[in-house]
Amino acid sequence: MEGTASLIWIVLFLPLIGSLVQALFGGSVVAKMGAAKGKRVMGTLAVLPIAVAFAIGAFLTLQLSQQEVGARSHVVTLFDWINIASLRVPFELVVDPLSMTMVLIITGIGALIHLYATGYMADDQEYPRFFTYLNLFVASMLILVLGNNLGLMFIGWEGVGLCSYLLIGFWYRDIENAKAANKAFIVNRIGDWGLTLGMFLLFAVIVANVDKMQLPEGETRWLSYDVILPNIVRIIEAQPAIATAIALLFFVGACGKSAQFPLYFWLPDAMAGPTPVSALIHAATMVTSGIVILNRMHVIFEVSEVASAVVAMVGAFTALFAAVIAFGQTDIKKVLAYSTVSQLGFMFIGCGVGGYWTGMFHVTTHAFFKALLFLGSGAVIYAMAHNQDMRNYGNLRKYLPITFATMFIGFIAIAGLAVPPGFGFAGFYSKEAILGYALANEHASIGVLNLGYYAGVLGLLVAGLTACYMTRMTWLTFFGKEERWRAIPAVEHGHHDDHHVAHAHHAHDHGPDTHGFFYTDEELAAQPHEHEHHHELDETHTPKEVPPSMWIPLAVLAVPSAIGGFLLYRNHAFEKWLQPEPLPVLGEMSGHPEHLNLLMLSIAAAFSGLIVGLLVYRKGLPKSEGWEMGKWATWRKLAANQFGYDRFLVRSSTEGGGEVANMVWKYIDVGIIDKIVNGVGVAVSKVGMLFGAFQTGYVRSYALMMLFGVTGFLGYIVYTMIRVGGGQ
Amino acid sequence: MPEFNAAFPLPREIDFAMLMPVIMVLVTGMIALVIEMLRPKQNNNLIVIFSIAGLMAAGVATAIQFGQPEKTTLVEMVLRDQFGLICQLLLVVACALTILFSETYLRSRRIAFGEFYPLVLWSTAGAMIMASSRNLLVIFLGLEILSISLYVLAGLARAELRSEESSLKYFLLGSFASGFFLYGIAMFYGATGSLDLAFLANGLTGNPAAKTLLVFGIGLMFVGLGFKAALVPFHQWTPDVYQGAPTNVTAFMAVCSKIGAIAALFRVLVAAAPMKADWLPAMMAIAMLTMIVGNAVALLQKDVKRILGYSSIGHAGYLLVGLLAYVNAPDQVSIATTGYYLLSYTFMTLGAFAVISVVTKDGRDTTRLEDLNGLWQRDRLAAVLLVVFMVSLIGIPPSAGFFGKFFIFQDAISAGLVPLAIVLAISSAISVAYYLQIARAAFVVETEPRPAMRMSPALRATGLICLLGVVLAGILVTPVQRFLMGTPAEEPMEASTTGLVGKG
Repeated sequence: MEGTASLIWIVLFLPLIGSLVQALFGGSVVAKMGAAKGKRVMGTLAVLPIAVAFAIGAFLTLQLSQQEVGARSHVVTLFDWINIASLRVPFELVVDPLSMTMVLIITGIGALIHLYATGYMADDQEYPRFFTYLNLFVASMLILVLGNNLGLMFIGWEGVGLCSYLLIGFWYRDIENAKAANKAFIVNRIGDWGLTLGMFLLFAVIVANVDKMQLPEGETRWLSYDVILPNIVRIIEAQPAIATAIALLFFVGACGKSAQFPLYFWLPDAMAGPTPVSALIHAATMVTSGIVILNRMHVIFEVSEVASAVVAMVGAFTALFAAVIAFGQTDIKKVLAYSTVSQLGFMFIGCGVGGYWTGMFHVTTHAFFKALLFLGSGAVIYAMAHNQDMRNYGNLRKYLPITFATMFIGFIAIAGLAVPPGFGFAGFYSKEAILGYALANEHASIGVLNLGYYAGVLGLLVAGLTACYMTRMTWLTFFGKEERWRAIPAVEHGHHDDHHVAHAHHAHDHGPDTHGFFYTDEELAAQPHEHEHHHELDETHTPKEVPPSMWIPLAVLAVPSAIGGFLLYRNHAFEKWLQPEPLPVLGEMSGHPEHLNLLMLSIAAAFSGLIVGLLVYRKGLPKSEGWEMGKWATWRKLAANQFGYDRFLVRSSTEGGGEVANMVWKYIDVGIIDKIVNGVGVAVSKVGMLFGAFQTGYVRSYALMMLFGVTGFLGYIVYTMIRVGGGQ
Repeated sequence: MPEFNAAFPLPREIDFAMLMPVIMVLVTGMIALVIEMLRPKQNNNLIVIFSIAGLMAAGVATAIQFGQPEKTTLVEMVLRDQFGLICQLLLVVACALTILFSETYLRSRRIAFGEFYPLVLWSTAGAMIMASSRNLLVIFLGLEILSISLYVLAGLARAELRSEESSLKYFLLGSFASGFFLYGIAMFYGATGSLDLAFLANGLTGNPAAKTLLVFGIGLMFVGLGFKAALVPFHQWTPDVYQGAPTNVTAFMAVCSKIGAIAALFRVLVAAAPMKADWLPAMMAIAMLTMIVGNAVALLQKDVKRILGYSSIGHAGYLLVGLLAYVNAPDQVSIATTGYYLLSYTFMTLGAFAVISVVTKDGRDTTRLEDLNGLWQRDRLAAVLLVVFMVSLIGIPPSAGFFGKFFIFQDAISAGLVPLAIVLAISSAISVAYYLQIARAAFVVETEPRPAMRMSPALRATGLICLLGVVLAGILVTPVQRFLMGTPAEEPMEASTTGLVGKG
């Protein structure tokens, strides 16, 4: 197996090479072969490495699953990356169930989304640039999950952050997109702050307790998982406060990447990026890296009940908060974005209460159905002339049968609809497992307060809400008799109804630079107009089903969204794969609450959500949610604005923060620091002038200086010699 | 310990494999001279090809000896050890890189004389001899072979007053320094009765007066080598000569004469380690002075070659810190640190000078900071390369310059030389200012970009090789160090094992 495990390098390097190929040759290939043919070639070259990587990953996973439970972890080292006094950080990857699960998700779903993107991005001029980023993202994400030490993990962590930034701002000429990209990047820095501090603290704790660890002689890989994790429990069990500190700092990092309250607010804005990006990065893979870290580091969380309780409660609150906000959204991608935030909250509930594998289970099923839903929404947007507002949709099942059928499967999966003996689509099983762990265990508690239980109760409520807002989205989009876009009169560039103008503009997610930020008017006019082929959505528009490169991934994803949960849940397959032995600290945990019929409760929650949703949205768009914001209910208006949270943060950080920064600049920076710095600079140049003055250019003075130097030097030696000799 | 034989020794057995690199470089120089004679008034491309081929062969002959045990041959006149091999390999590489971009540069300066090649090759051979002996007379021989060729090279642009001035200045001061070195050798011989550094202990056992003589001998030898390495206060020739000499000669001088001097210093200091209590404080003072003065004076310079001259003084200070740390605690600190630093120094300094040589125009080069303006407009690659080399010279991760400096810093602390570590950190901070000035100058937009100023293909190749060296050595730190130490990948490195954690 060790030899076979080395194949993992190929998995890692394929997307990396793919990215380089796109970057170096993409432009010239498209230019030489002509747009259509060149794009087809580069598209194939983009999908191929990921698909091959998936095949190798699947083979490795199969090999791994045939091994004994205790032997399912292999570390393969390529070279020593850093080797300094008492710290060695090799470039090493780990092949174990957790990393391989993620590899399959990343490459499998990644390959489908790449395929989809070849269709979705077909009209974009910067086709190779898109796939350069997308392949690079896959490579970074693979390093994140495969790296066997915190150093490599951090490279991946920052790599995916960078790719996410680049891809959100892919259509950077629109200032809004650039702003969204900045926001994502900056908010993630806050998370990174926590993550790096956590890493430093963990490192400090490890090196301070080397004597308590059982290690082979000469082991100095203090950042590697196989060194840290088996030993850390012995060290931090005696110091629960430190365990809590490390766990919470890692959780701050997880909150940033996985969009949990209070750091969630970059994710909805991130939907400014192309839809395949939303599906791959901001739903299926990158945003789950927080869960992956928690799973990797779970022993630390096992030791700290307080940190676990915080994780569970933050997860539950985020799930609820985002679910409510989803009711106030009319942009189809925003609904899915908030639903992602909410589902990520579920995963954190699972990890918080000690059911670490349930978190990963939900990561897996969520990757299936959320990628499906996002790609489906992309298909809808594509068919609707890039208009994203659900108030312009309606009755689309007539025009987009394949999209509708597949998205409907996704809808059932996320809503958790199931029939009594316990059969349902993917999301049902994982959500059920999380809630079962939450309601049955007492790990996540502060004092006597079992917060994990309350998180479970909140989770049950959110499950109902999820069914309801997903019903809203599905019915507004696909059902109803009214085809609402027919109400938009076909005037050139829509100078009519105020609302429509405003919304048409915002919905148009990558218009040319209307702000004149980068280009003058003449330059704009001189450019070939990028989006001329996108005619505006108006009454003359007839939606058409999307091309096969786009609906094939939908159809493929629909299969695991439907039956994936059942297959993985049956005979505890996923649990036995990821967590075959009882947890090292918590031991055997129960996944089923004793006094509660959870199955019936969650089925009831899902169906009541569905029924309420049907009652309201059965006939299409209710007047109370239409174009006139004045008629909206107060709570919905608040939800649409994220209860003022985002605005508050932006205000306080850009305006208030600007004030503070101004003061700091004026009094501290200019007043104190500049003076010190300038003073030092002046002092240093004074020294320089002093010595520069000797630089006369005359050989004789140089020789004299040398003589002085020699005399001084030898004099000093003689002085030392006499002093040392005197001491003898 | 070799047996002590006062009678005139005759070589009993000669290991030619050890001598091969030096012989190859010397012979290549002779071939170059012959080609020049046979094809007068023709271009020198053939010489360039022969020289580089010869250097490559010499490089291979050096590299295959990596990891082989320490050994002497020719009656202990020639010594092979790992550090010497590192220096020899770097010298060969540096010489090859210099020759690679010299031809087009010399042509643009209208001084394309064929003599350049034999001189530069012999000079390299001299430095290689310095790096491969423990016998003071042989080291002196190497020093003079290196220096005399360099005196001529510095005056290569013989029609130019500044070049001539620099040549003469270098010659006069260099002779002065050689005098010190020779005087030191004489004292050493007086104290020990031998010219071999290995017999230093002779001077410590017998007559107590011999010890005084020995300390003076070590001190004077340090002065002579310190002049070549440009340590303060023996540095004053550096900026003038660097500025006056043709840029390719400056590049060669900055790298090769420094490597040779550091290699010889290494031998002297290691041999003198038993009495380090006497000389260490004075040398620490020199190291600190060198780092501060080199970097502080560089701030005030307006000429790029002068700035880089002072910068090379600063780097000599860093290198001396590495050597002193090794001598002070050889069991805790690895000499690979200094080897790695020399490697990064070779690539970034040669690269920087190579890029600077692009501003030459109309047979003259003026290298004020303003002359770099508009480089970005005219040749993007040149500007990017310049920035990378500056970044590495500053020591910003992940460049090789960062790791080199970081290891020296770490070694200074593990060896207990904390003051040196502090001064090193402070002076690196100072250096940021002037390096960034150079980088900035390349990006100042010129309203009417001058023509020319484009890199020739050979220059481009040199720049890219140096770039590759700086970047790869930064990424593959440990493999490079392993290679330098000649340790196979599987074995653990006998290196620094203390530090943050301690041995508990």
